[in-house]
Amino acid sequence: MTTAVSPLLTRLAAERATGALLRDRGTLFLEDGRVVHAESPSTPGLDVLLTTGGGLAPERWKEAVDEAGGRRQVARFLVDSGGLADGELEICHLAAIFDAAFFALSPGSGPSRFRRGATHWIGSVRSVPAEAVERETRRRRELLDAVWPYPLLDISPVVPRQAAPGQTVTTRQRILLGQADGVRTPADLAWVLGRPAFHTLLDVRRLAAAGLVETPHTRPVPLSAAPLPDWITEAQSPDVALLRRLRDALEASL
Amino acid sequence: MANVETALKEATTTIDGALGAALVDYGSGMALGTIGGSKDLDLSVAAAGNTDVVRAKVRTMEMLGLQDEIEDILITLGSQYHLIRLMKARGSSGFFLYLALDRGRANLAMARHQLRKIEAELEI
Repeated sequence: MTTAVSPLLTRLAAERATGALLRDRGTLFLEDGRVVHAESPSTPGLDVLLTTGGGLAPERWKEAVDEAGGRRQVARFLVDSGGLADGELEICHLAAIFDAAFFALSPGSGPSRFRRGATHWIGSVRSVPAEAVERETRRRRELLDAVWPYPLLDISPVVPRQAAPGQTVTTRQRILLGQADGVRTPADLAWVLGRPAFHTLLDVRRLAAAGLVETPHTRPVPLSAAPLPDWITEAQSPDVALLRRLRDALEASL
Repeated sequence: MANVETALKEATTTIDGALGAALVDYGSGMALGTIGGSKDLDLSVAAAGNTDVVRAKVRTMEMLGLQDEIEDILITLGSQYHLIRLMKARGSSGFFLYLALDRGRANLAMARHQLRKIEAELEI
């Protein structure tokens, strides 16, 4: 029997709780025990997926947040104002939930806290059972290791290698390699390409397995302290996760 | 305009012989929605596995230097048809529709036609 990815999430789902599950690497929003939204500083948000990765004009996104953010109906507004098709919003939103949840529920994501009653301004799009989120998170971890078991790739700059004679590179891979400048990490590339971060991790592991990207064997030296994520600075009062990040950032800059 | 659930429901109700359908995210191998399926046909597993099928075909096309796009892929089993229809997404990420059909009851030409219609309705 597999162990739960997050025992707290399992319990909250069972008691059909509503609120925000906060961890160091991300936040899961629950409604009646089902996951309705997720965010993580490790991944591009829905805005980036829809604008950079999709066909939505950045002004339309901004307009929707300005107009409907206070009412917490940004998603509804985007569709009703004709900026976005129902199907596209739903699919991108689902991709964003599972992507952020993968990082929020990662083993190094620290202790969990639950803020009961908290909701997200995106509003209701679609909800997924917490159990499905846990199952998919587990599948993704296993998939990464099945492809190429070198987790250091996930946090190191992506360094392309020359293709072997006769080796083919697909269009999708070429686009990613074209943005890999030897400094950007997979997460940076996800932002540039407007793709979910997990997808980029997977692509990079596949590229490394094919010898098209260097496999690092030592930890990268952090260039600078990571900036504080929006989900912590904008919406919430200081808490343990924030204080811990602050301490880490201060120590890193000593 | 349709959402994922209604599109998949339409696929399994209007297409003769449909056993199950899934909308799959090609980048992660995850099914964003499934309908139908059974003990013998786990659509989540099928979604992940068929992502490898699509990737292999895309790579083969690159090796051959074919400047064309895949519209759909057909896999014929003894008792079933499996139909994979790649969706033309606006963004860089890709999705495909996966449809399992009972070979004895399905009309393949009609099924392909209807799947094309369902893709258009999803408007990604």
